[in-house]
Amino acid sequence: MQVRPIISTLRRHKTAATLIVLEIALTCAIVCNAVFLIGDRAARIARPSGTAEDELGYITLTGIGTKADATALTAQDLAALRAIPGVRQVSSVNMVPFGNSSWNSGISLVKDDPNGVNVAQYMGRDLLETFGTRILAGRGFQPNEYLDFEAAQQGKFDHPSVIVSHALAERLFQGDEAVGKQIYFGDKPAIVVGVMANLMRPNEFGEPEHAFYSVLLPVEIPYTEGGGYLVRADPAQLDTILADAESTLNRIDPARIILHRRTLHDIRREYYAKDRAMAYLLVGVTLALLLITALGIVGLASFWVQQRTRQIGIRRALGATRGHILRYFQLENFILATAGIALGMALAYGLNLLLMAKYAVPRLPGEFLPIGALLLWILGQIAVLGPAIRASTIAPAIATRTV
Amino acid sequence: MLHMKNVSKVYRTEMVETRALHGMDLDVDAGEFVAVTGPSGSGKTTFLNIAGLLEELSGGTYQLDGVDVQRLDDRARSKLRNEKIGFVFQSFNLIPDLNLFDNVDVPLRYRGLPRSDRKRRIESALERVGLASRLRHFPAELSGGQQQRVAIARAIAGDPKLLLADEPTGNLDSQMAREVMQLLEELNSQGTVVVIVTHDPEIAARAQRNVHIVDGTATDVERGPTLVRSA
Amino acid sequence: MLGYYLSLARRSLKRNKGLTVLMIVAIAFGVGASMTTLTVLHVLAADPIPAKSHQLYYVQLDPQPLNGYRVGDEPPYQVSRYDAEALVRAQRADRQALMTGGNAAIEPDRTDIKPFFAEGRWTSSEMFAMFDIPFLAGTSWTADDDLHAARVAVISRALAEKLFGSTAAVGRTLHVEGQQLRVIGVIADWVPHPHFYDLNTSRYGKGEQLFVPFSTSRELKLSRSGSMDCWKESGADSTALDSPCVWLQLWVELDSPDKASAYRDFLVSYSEDQLRSGRYQRPPNVRLRDVIGWLELNKVVPPDARLQTWIALGFLLVCLVNTVGLLLTKFVRRSSEIGVRRALGASKRTIFIQLLVEAGMIGLAGALLGLGLAWLGLWGVRHQPAEYAPLAHLDLPMLAATFGLAITSSVLAGLLPAWRGCQASPAIQLKSH
Repeated sequence: MQVRPIISTLRRHKTAATLIVLEIALTCAIVCNAVFLIGDRAARIARPSGTAEDELGYITLTGIGTKADATALTAQDLAALRAIPGVRQVSSVNMVPFGNSSWNSGISLVKDDPNGVNVAQYMGRDLLETFGTRILAGRGFQPNEYLDFEAAQQGKFDHPSVIVSHALAERLFQGDEAVGKQIYFGDKPAIVVGVMANLMRPNEFGEPEHAFYSVLLPVEIPYTEGGGYLVRADPAQLDTILADAESTLNRIDPARIILHRRTLHDIRREYYAKDRAMAYLLVGVTLALLLITALGIVGLASFWVQQRTRQIGIRRALGATRGHILRYFQLENFILATAGIALGMALAYGLNLLLMAKYAVPRLPGEFLPIGALLLWILGQIAVLGPAIRASTIAPAIATRTV
Repeated sequence: MLHMKNVSKVYRTEMVETRALHGMDLDVDAGEFVAVTGPSGSGKTTFLNIAGLLEELSGGTYQLDGVDVQRLDDRARSKLRNEKIGFVFQSFNLIPDLNLFDNVDVPLRYRGLPRSDRKRRIESALERVGLASRLRHFPAELSGGQQQRVAIARAIAGDPKLLLADEPTGNLDSQMAREVMQLLEELNSQGTVVVIVTHDPEIAARAQRNVHIVDGTATDVERGPTLVRSA
Repeated sequence: MLGYYLSLARRSLKRNKGLTVLMIVAIAFGVGASMTTLTVLHVLAADPIPAKSHQLYYVQLDPQPLNGYRVGDEPPYQVSRYDAEALVRAQRADRQALMTGGNAAIEPDRTDIKPFFAEGRWTSSEMFAMFDIPFLAGTSWTADDDLHAARVAVISRALAEKLFGSTAAVGRTLHVEGQQLRVIGVIADWVPHPHFYDLNTSRYGKGEQLFVPFSTSRELKLSRSGSMDCWKESGADSTALDSPCVWLQLWVELDSPDKASAYRDFLVSYSEDQLRSGRYQRPPNVRLRDVIGWLELNKVVPPDARLQTWIALGFLLVCLVNTVGLLLTKFVRRSSEIGVRRALGASKRTIFIQLLVEAGMIGLAGALLGLGLAWLGLWGVRHQPAEYAPLAHLDLPMLAATFGLAITSSVLAGLLPAWRGCQASPAIQLKSH
């Protein structure tokens, strides 16, 4: 099949050909970026939190009026919760991953460094066990290392131990051994005793890698400080155990209000709701775009087939087979799609630069371009098939008929 | 009625310049029935396009019913065409989507006539061509001769002073062709100037006056079978 | 003549039903997607207090230590209690109010309702007049009440109805965190979107139900909510008068630009005084932004919403290119008919208008369908977990904008095809058959 006659025909239908090329190009540009953004969001949603998420539930509550005996009440609650059958571990914790409250601090390798790394500080007894977060190097906290929250708040502790996340250790020590090193919270020194798996922080500060900058402090915290009870249990029974836990807490002190009782799984779902909505929107737009473009190709191809009916009849009369006619239209579509894709690649790249500048979108990796190209080639061939088959069935007798 | 003086028409494409008409002089007076003949490529169609204000001339002057047309813009030419000229085409050129009534209505719409006036004219025009009973039919439901009669009805509905016909019988069998010619002669006898471009010596023979176009120039021909060359 | 064009357009659209439906659907999809995202943007970017957005100013000061200071740094987004109280006392603006969000447990007298938590605002007396908050009953507290930490409260209509069964709650007693407050006012529903005066709490939520004098809230140790930043260890009570933390919002009303610039000078001289007294370490670093400036600084419109809008507009562009292509094929296909019409006396202009009318008709149909799709899209948005979701409704301006967008874009899409269509030469068409 010769390409030259096709090109010369297309040149005689410049406007229509240009429009279809432009449409394919725009679709290609948007679809490449959309597919990439979908992947980006999906990867974000799939990030592990560093915890035994399926086994965790979180209950937040608050007392009415000021409670003088918060620490004692917390101990009583913990004991009662631990006694519920099926509960594997319980901690009173100041915050959880994906939660909407967060405790943050700047840490650094030198004292009072204003350019420290912002990290999230988890507090609570037996947190590693309850979260199910693994120690990668060094050790967890000894029972006698824990400090009382009031004391910690007033700065009455020197050189406490701290456990840092793997990502934070990498950031601070660039691959060097972290265990045993000294770091500073402002002007307060602390010693790294262990490195834990990447425990995600409640919210992200700026760059995506900051999501895993977290530390664990050996501080026992009462439930009254904005956090709540973290319950680890058999995932199959988690819901009923959490309901039990709520009624247990109500029994211990009825003058309290349960604010939330949710599994970490639900908290996570809610946290990523906006990302999911964005991803669905992008999927919808991508599908709609592909559909519209396909229909546009069908419309134009049908028109050309109709316009060239007589010409096709003459070709058939002169010996062209049905296959020839079919391939003519398929090749024509391939040429148009290729032109559109070439232009679309450049547009996709430009669009990505624009998005990078305005919306903190990462750079479009090269492999998305061939994906977009392939998608549109296939789309074009599917769309043109109907009109092309119709063209191939035009009877040669058309040629001898006067209109 | 129609005065062409030294009219020329040049077509320019990227590579070639084609002279379709040059130095054509032609006067057609009121009441005439003129047949224009000539070999293929002689400039017959160009003459018709220019006479019908479908194309602009490249040089010379053309007066239609006292109006110098070469100075008019598209709107004025369209208006003049609409009011003074009726067209009958070889391939009828009816609009397939419209029924007979609406087809005949097209030029009247562009003239902006009131509804009752249009209705009267359409019905009377279709009456004159003998198709008054088929107002709601579509062109595809008619025979070729009937379609051409509708086209004539459309051409005369606006009472044009000049009727231009391009091979009006070319697509018709001889019986239908005779009917159409009778109709045109009848219109001419009622005062309409008829200019008909044709290949057919029989048709040309029925006209009062024969004009022969060769190489873009028109000459009047004396009536006589030997002088009519078939192309 | 327009009637004739409309009837021609209708006839032509009916002839190629598939093509017509395709064009209408394409425009409708583009318009629907664009209007959905634009409406969300419209909601997010709305002026929360149009009557006063240029008279209300947000105060920022910089009491942080010198360490880490760079010229041009943005001062903290909130003010310290010391500064807030000092500036309210100074009375240098037309009105001024300090405030923080808070939560308080309320124990109803009625036994059929369990104790519950209410969102509150601990503020000073001028906030109500400053924000034009309408009262259903009673009044705000006075500056004197602020001074003496009076045990009073203003509550929302919803809270009044919940606790007392009616809005006639003035004079009743409220049990808050084990303390008693006297209700002195009930406000009508007043929920600015976004919650401009404190962006640390829910930005598109239902608003506060309980208003208590700030001084009272400190005496009763009511819990605060929102964000707090401290530049050194705060000791036992981070909300104390001298705590090294910023956690309060300070709004002032200044009804002319001159007053605003005078107030800015006042903030600079206040900062200089603090520097001299040793409370401040940094050179004066103040900002005074009106409501709109403050919302922009806080990027109240999330980047995702803008990104979605651009995606939708890109989608609309593709739909339009698609429509241009289809209209072009449709009009060119009709060139023989157009040629005949031209021969019968239609001018180019006439044909051009006729074809544009046809494009416009497609636009109108696209607008109607697009409106339906936008309505559906917004219904979907309202079922999203986003905070602003319940606010996503088409209002009258957006409704008008939908029609404007659909018809403008389809007429624009019709321009090129109509222009090409009316070029159909009458001469050529006569012979081409």
